Formats: sequence, C-alpha cells, structure tokens
Amino acid sequence: MGIKHYAQVYRGFVSTSFTEATSFRLNFLLLIIMDLFFYVSVLATVSFIFDHVETIGPWNRTQLMFFMSFMLVIDHLHMTFVSESFWMLSTHLKTGELDFTLLKPVNSIFSVFFRHVRPSSLCNIFVTWGLLIYYGRQVPLTTLDWVLLPPLILLSFTLLCLIEFIIASSMFWVTEGLGINFLRMQIQQLSRWPDYIYGILSRKILTIALPVLLIGSAPVHFLFDKSRYLPLGGMVIAILGSFVVLRWIWARGLRRYDSASS
Amino acid sequence: MISAKNLTKQFISSKKKPGLLGALESLFYREPVIKNAVESFDLEINQGEMIGLLGPNGAGKTTLMKMFTGIIVPSSGELKILGHEPAQRHKEFRKNIALVMGQKSQLWWDIPAMDSFLLLKRYYEIPELEFKQRVTEMAALLNVESLMNIHVRRLSLGERMKMELMASLLHSPKVIFLDEPTIGLDLVAQENIRQFILDYHRKTHATLIITSHYMADVQALCQRLVLIFDGKKAFDGPLKTFETILGNDKIVSFQFADSLTEDAALFADFSPVYQEDRKGVELKIPLEKLRAVTSEALEKFDITEFNTDKMPIEKVMKTLMTNPQLLKRHSL
Repeated sequence: MGIKHYAQVYRGFVSTSFTEATSFRLNFLLLIIMDLFFYVSVLATVSFIFDHVETIGPWNRTQLMFFMSFMLVIDHLHMTFVSESFWMLSTHLKTGELDFTLLKPVNSIFSVFFRHVRPSSLCNIFVTWGLLIYYGRQVPLTTLDWVLLPPLILLSFTLLCLIEFIIASSMFWVTEGLGINFLRMQIQQLSRWPDYIYGILSRKILTIALPVLLIGSAPVHFLFDKSRYLPLGGMVIAILGSFVVLRWIWARGLRRYDSASS
Repeated sequence: MISAKNLTKQFISSKKKPGLLGALESLFYREPVIKNAVESFDLEINQGEMIGLLGPNGAGKTTLMKMFTGIIVPSSGELKILGHEPAQRHKEFRKNIALVMGQKSQLWWDIPAMDSFLLLKRYYEIPELEFKQRVTEMAALLNVESLMNIHVRRLSLGERMKMELMASLLHSPKVIFLDEPTIGLDLVAQENIRQFILDYHRKTHATLIITSHYMADVQALCQRLVLIFDGKKAFDGPLKTFETILGNDKIVSFQFADSLTEDAALFADFSPVYQEDRKGVELKIPLEKLRAVTSEALEKFDITEFNTDKMPIEKVMKTLMTNPQLLKRHSL
C-alpha cells in the first residue's frame, strides 16, 4: 500500500515536471545541449591526457574511460531525478514555501528531494548509457559484469543521493543554501575521479569518514577485479549508515524549521 | 477536536547594525533577540465550529496556525488536534487538515491548476470518481470551470485564490485553517470566497479557523472570536459579546433639513461628529439614553432622516487595537 502510494505520487511528480519543463521550450533545449557539452568535455579531457601517457595509476585509457562513463551515468541520474530539488529546498526554506510540502501526507524527505524531475536531462539517457556500453565493450566486460552493472549503478546512485541529502539537510541551520549547494557539488566532484589519484590519508578520509570515493571506485574496481569485493560491502554499510544519519538529522532539521513570516 | 494548553512558541532572531561595518560585525557577533510569538495560549474548539482568530499584525496568529498544522514545533505546551499531536506529523493527521494562506501559494506556478489538482489527488489518495465529482462541483460553485487548464501564473489574484481553496479542500479535510483567505481581493471576489466557505461548511460541517483583517469576513463566517495580542489570548467568546465589549453604545446619525449654525448642547455628551456642511451628525449614545435623546432631537430639529446602528465591529477592533488595556475588564 505504502509503496503503491509513493509510486503514484512519484508519477505525479514526473508528470508535473514535464508540464512545467515543456512550458519553456527554449530552456528545455538549452539544458539538453548544456548537459551534452558537459559529457563531451569530461571525456575529451581524459582522452587528451591519454594522448600523452599510457596509463594513469593501474588503469589504461579504456578502463578509465569506462570509469568516467560509469560516473556520467550516475551524474545523469542525479541531474535528472534529484539535482533540481536541492536548489528548490534552499528557496523554499527562505520563503516558507516548505510549509506546504510539510503538510502533504507523505514522508517529507521524499517530497522534498524527489519533487522535481528534470525532463530535459532524461533525453540524454541514450548518450550516457550509450557511452557506458561502448566503453564496457572495449574493456571488455563479461556477461556477469553486464548483469551486475545496473544494480551497481543503483547502489552508487543511492549512496551519492544519501550523502548529498545529508549535506543539504544542513540548510535548516544555515538557511541560505548557496554555500551548501557548492559544497555538495564539490564533494560530488571528488567522487568523479578514481580513488587511487588521492593520497593515502585523503583516500582514507574520503572512503571511511565521508565515503564519496566508494560511489564510483568501489563498483568499478569490483567489475574489473572480483577479489575487490570488500569496498562494495563498505558501500552497502555506508548506504545503511547514511540512511540512519539522514533520518536523524532531518528530524532535527524539521524541529528547527521556523518557516517564514507571512 | 482542538485542544491547546499553555502553548508557547519562542523565536530567536538577531539584530544587525546597518551598513558595511554592521555587516562585518555581524560575521563575528550577533545580538540575539528572543521573542515569545505565542505565550501560554489555551484554546478549546469543538467539531464544526467556525472560529475567527483576530489580532494586529505580528500578534501571533500565523504562528498559531503553523503550530496547529504541524509546520512548526511548539517550544512548550500541549496541543492535540483530532487526537494527534501536530508536531508528530502523522499521515492520518495530515490527511485530515488543510491550510489556505492568502499570502502564499501551494499551487505550482508554472503549471495549470488542474495538473496541481491531479498531483494532490495522488498525495491524498482520492478515488477517481470522488475527485472528478469534487472538482466539477467546486469549479462550478466558484465559477472557474474555464480556468482549470490555464497556467497559474496567468491567473488573477482572485482566480488564483479560488484555485487555492479548491486545492485545499479536494481531500475533504475535517479541520481547515484559513490564514487571510481574502487578502488583496476585490469586494466581489471576497464575497464569492465567503459564500463558498459558508456553503462548504454547511455541507461538510468541517471545523474552520479563520484569520482575517477584514471584519466582513469575520461577521459573515464566525460565530466565535478569539483575540490575540502580543502572543497572548485577550478575548475568547461569541461574536455578539465581542460587539458589545466596549459597552452597549449605539451609533445614531441624524440628517437635518438645514445646516446647524452652532453645536447643539443636546449632542455634546455623545461624542458628536458633524459633517462638513453641518447638515448631519453622528453620535455614540448609550442604549439606556437612546429613546430620550432621539425624542428630544426630533422635537428640537427639523430632521429629515435618522439611523441607529450597533457599534460596528471594525470600530470595536480598532479601539481595542489602539487600547488593548480595555480588554482587561473582560475576563476570559
């Protein structure tokens, strides 16, 4: 009953987001083009570096390009399904529009962070998945790897979302969300590179304390080498832990919420 | 239905000195300002009642509404609505309440109202048939059938307010909080909204709590008034009692055939307000002296018209807002 209700509400979110996005057609097209620019620039940068070196750390060009494509898929999911909501939360906290979200009979974490879907980004799904499949075939991935790929992407996306939800929840205290949103984006940026480019101490911090490096590195290392399953276990633990922390911090944030004067 | 005991809400804000230096100083130190927006507030409301919550700007009305709806958490005190503690935000509680805010919109600006309604249908799990029936009925009552598929940002304030009301009532809430629902609307739109609320109440017998600065709203909708000043309850009683809170004075106006050349001694004790052309006067006469003064005036002057009315609620409210100490005479 609960899941059905949430699925119905989410269908409504998608539907209204489409209606909203298609009201501004030029903006809709511009966002598609901007996303494409971003994907091309990321891959072109890595490709350019590999024009001058054979390997970066333990990985060759194909492996790193696969990793980058993996992260682009995560980024694409993030841009499509949650990114808009972070910016809206900041505005809604300042204007008091969050009041109406809190009145709705669904979990407020769900209605805050999943309310806004970006339909323009959805159009680029063929590009990101196309790149992932292309580089996956170059690696090449085994049949088992292809089967494991979608659930691993889902796990990575879940961890990224949870970490960002926790960071965004601090807006209840700081109110102005610009700084928090930049912090969130910078932290996401850290996860876009493989863990081995970081020094030992930073790697430990970014794997254990703030487990952003698990988002991409854990599943891709596992796909390349099945003996590296421990980070994947760590990723599952990080997801569970982050979920508990999010619920705790969110409940405190709601208690602190003062709304805005009318 | 609604029970508040010792309800208090404290807000902490900070002072900032003006200018660049003040801004720099505020980076390191801010003087905290603690304000009790609502203080030791008690209230009991029964099912089906229509209550007017009145008070000057900043008195704490909206803060109360937000505590009642669970949007903000009280600093202390007890609050129960429909058997729930609002701050716990139980799903069942949220499904049975609604909040309409005249100054804020729950409708999504860039989509037509109908799309918002469809999303609300999913939120509140309203069966298809009931949804269609309610939308059709309410749209007809509010005369907005032709506006359902127009983007909300294109609607006038009055039209948007009608849509807001529809959005809030689609799920048939048992308790409805209306925070200045007619603010900024023209007289016709105000009347339409009032009539709609009355019709809705007649049909559903829902409990309504209304805040408004328009006394016409209060007179048309509420049987009981609760006055709040500086976060504290200052009056709680029937509208009729409120109307006589400043005494049983009647407002009497006389129109004369000819202009009066000088102030009449007969009117001197009754706060006379003469018209500019001195062809008319308005007096405030205690009920017990009404007959005598009127008879004498009719004998002495060539009166073409006269009118008696009770003290308008606006005047009562205005007098109390400027002299809140007058309320101390009335026990709660």
